[in-house]
Amino acid sequence: MSVPALEAVNLAKSFGGVRAAHDVSFSVPGGSLAALIGPNGAGKTTLFNLVTRLYEPDAGEMRFYGRPLAGLPAARIAALGLVRTFQAARIFPGMTTLENVLAGAHLHVRASAWRQMLWLPGARGEERELVRRADALLDLTGLLPFRDAAATDLPMGAQKLLEVVRALMARPRVVLLDEPAAGLNDAETAELGSLLRAVRASGVTVVVVEHNMSLVMGVADQVIVLDTGAVVAAGTPAEIQKNPRVIEAYVGKEAA
Amino acid sequence: MEQAVQTVIGGLLQGTVFGVVALGFALVFRVTGAINLSQGAFCIVGALAMYSFQVSLGWPGWAAAAAAVGVTAAAGAVIGATTFVPALSRLPVSSMLILTAGLLTTLEGLSLVVWGSQPYALPPFSGEAPVSVLGVRLPTQGFWIVGAAAAIIAGVWFLLMRTALGRALRACAENPTAARLMGIDVPRMTLFAFTLAALIAGIGGIAVAPILSFQFDTGRLFTIAGFSAVAIGGLGSLVGSVAGGELLGVAEQLAAGYISSLFANGIALALLILTLLVRPSGLLTAKRTRREDVRDEHRIYHPVVRLRGRRAVVFGLGAVAALAVLPWIVPPGLMNSVVITGILFISVLGLDVLMGYCGQVSLGQAGFMAVGGYTAAILATNHGWPPLAGIAAGLVLSLACAVALSLVTMRLRGHYLALATLAFGLLVESLAVGMTETTGGPSGLVGVPSFSVGPFDFGTPLAMYYLVAAVIVVLVLVLLGGLRSGFGRALQAVRTDQTAAAALGINVPRYKMAAFAASAAAASLSGSLYAFHLNFLSPDMVGLARSLEMIAMLVVGGEGTLVGSLFGVALLTLLPTIFQPLALYKTFAEGLLLVLAVRYLPGGIFGVFAQRVLNPSARPARSAA
Ligand SMILES: Nc1ncnc2c1ncn2[C@@H]1O[C@H](COP(=O)(O)OP(=O)(O)OP(=O)(O)O)[C@@H](O)[C@H]1O
Ligand SMILES: [Mg+2]
Repeated sequence: MSVPALEAVNLAKSFGGVRAAHDVSFSVPGGSLAALIGPNGAGKTTLFNLVTRLYEPDAGEMRFYGRPLAGLPAARIAALGLVRTFQAARIFPGMTTLENVLAGAHLHVRASAWRQMLWLPGARGEERELVRRADALLDLTGLLPFRDAAATDLPMGAQKLLEVVRALMARPRVVLLDEPAAGLNDAETAELGSLLRAVRASGVTVVVVEHNMSLVMGVADQVIVLDTGAVVAAGTPAEIQKNPRVIEAYVGKEAA
Repeated sequence: MEQAVQTVIGGLLQGTVFGVVALGFALVFRVTGAINLSQGAFCIVGALAMYSFQVSLGWPGWAAAAAAVGVTAAAGAVIGATTFVPALSRLPVSSMLILTAGLLTTLEGLSLVVWGSQPYALPPFSGEAPVSVLGVRLPTQGFWIVGAAAAIIAGVWFLLMRTALGRALRACAENPTAARLMGIDVPRMTLFAFTLAALIAGIGGIAVAPILSFQFDTGRLFTIAGFSAVAIGGLGSLVGSVAGGELLGVAEQLAAGYISSLFANGIALALLILTLLVRPSGLLTAKRTRREDVRDEHRIYHPVVRLRGRRAVVFGLGAVAALAVLPWIVPPGLMNSVVITGILFISVLGLDVLMGYCGQVSLGQAGFMAVGGYTAAILATNHGWPPLAGIAAGLVLSLACAVALSLVTMRLRGHYLALATLAFGLLVESLAVGMTETTGGPSGLVGVPSFSVGPFDFGTPLAMYYLVAAVIVVLVLVLLGGLRSGFGRALQAVRTDQTAAAALGINVPRYKMAAFAASAAAASLSGSLYAFHLNFLSPDMVGLARSLEMIAMLVVGGEGTLVGSLFGVALLTLLPTIFQPLALYKTFAEGLLLVLAVRYLPGGIFGVFAQRVLNPSARPARSAA
């Protein structure tokens, strides 16, 4: 049995009286695509924040390929290969689309600041290589026309997609995506689906928070259902669709 | 023993005034989350107005005092209504800090225009003869100071705790969004708090004026003392700010009495840095601190203007050619000012890396100019070092200070770097004033040799011009190389969104430190060249006024554009030289331009230029929540 890429053990977090996470355990095998679903306020984002250590958990442990994440600063976690996006797209204003994507490659810039400052050929060659990769990803996601525009001028859906591209530039081993399809139209959502499949096919583990059930059921290997801070069910999309507790807690509400 | 008691009493009196100013700080901070650096200027506006009414117009004391307090409060209301309050709903906290620095400069400049630069003194309210209590002589003015402070503290307490208005103010402090939903007119409350703080400062200034000599720019000392007091006591704590003021006052008086009055300022600042180090939240922390996450953080989007490829090369070569021929166009009489423009631009370049790219506010950039300038000048003048070695020594010392300061402030968010750099700049300034034997004291270090490398001497303005121009070209190229690559992207990411930056693996503290070190190094180099060029260096050339001036230059010219600040530096250096009669209005204009630029022109002059001329397709700068 191989070590899971991401594992949460009995995670708990409360804000005042609100139990945002309560005894949450799950495990995501390497190379798989897991979807995290649940009604608004279920604690999905909180879970991401706990894993990437934006919040300190009250109890429990997160492990990344068996390695405990407790006590690591956020930047170190990214350096290990665990990269996330945010629910409200947090692209960098004041930078172009391309520059935003390049910022994602921060961990892979080998040339030191000194070599960049001296315009040494090695540093410039590396920069060209990064730009080439960024252009390829922008092309793949249809963002290439926006390449040199100010990133904040992009429509909301494109900004969300840009954030995904930026995260992928970091070449993560595990990527956590918080509602990447919010603000996308149907065609764009379908494209996102094929992007997610391609990402998984390249060996990257994906955890995605998503409300769009057809997207989730189409791409996920595993679905984890949260409600009021606790895991209600976990299993394959087919199992989840049949689970009466899920239909009641989540799908039922959606239908209503 | 008796002397010690006298000293402590003097300190308590002074501390009472600091505490009163600090109370105003704390009030505004609690209600708005912004630090108002113009606070101390209102003290001096009050005192100067009092002088005009009482001495110039011969009004009776009580009428003059009432009128002076009225003038101060009115000034506060006008400034609050026209700039502070409207800006608050559009600008991020760091820009508010810069805005209030601009307000401080504007008020000082206005006082200079109205009252001139001479020092003033007021007669004590009830005669010169001190009262003797248990063998201790007490100046009668002391009773007035303590009485006024007690009245203010009691009044503020009553207002906050016992009235509906106070409840509304406290609601704004607690959670502005919720307060708005409860139907409280938050902007009106903010204006009220700002005006009240000005009024308090005015009363404090009038009460203390008879025991000191004051002039148009004494206000900054009150700002610093009040700011330090509030930081020592705990930002936002009303009780803490008064206690912090007393502590500061006593420490200053003891330092002045037993060490040297020249170091009094330094001791207070050392106390501040020590507090930041040991208990950054202040010695008496407010029980209910403001929830940072409830305030909408506003962001300024700089215009995104990029010059790439051929156009960049053409523009760059054009700029170099212009630099090369400039000396033939400029009248010889102006050459000195042009060189100074270049030297200051070197320092502002560094400030741009720190503020424009990395988003960290430094109020002490001139402190590093002083370190670099004095180190190089002293070594070259008194110890016969070659100038280059002196510059190198200055750089090493500046970098060491920068690293030490960032280690102190790195763990802290928000205003702490601004606070620490302010303290650092003032500490260096007071050392330069106080260490008379080494630095020449307040009147400056004379006989600094010109810059030379081996047999090449740069004694003429023309030679110095080409040296400075070459340094600028190299520096701009180096910075450009870094800023257009991974280094610059990381800095900009840190400026706009530290959380997202960290999530991409960017080591935020490390980049802040790198930007700070770069800005310190540029300032240090600039300071050294400054001393070599003028063959002279004095504390006020590299003091707080200079730090504030450089912020104005940067913001007016255009932050985050590297070359844009040259517009600001040239404007504020050359104009007063070309039009000598304008020199009196320089400080005022500087402050006003800074306020206007922060408020209405996020891209500065260069932003406009870049959009119109270089890149007409770029979107205009805009600000959004
Ligand atoms: N910083 C915080 N302070 C206080 N309460 C919080 C905080 N963050 C989250 N919560 C609360 O925790 C609960 C879970 O929130 P969370 O954002 O994780 O939900 P979610 O599943 O991501 O919902 P959505 O689908 O709306 O994004 C909510 O009740 C929320 O109000
Ligand atoms: Mg969420």
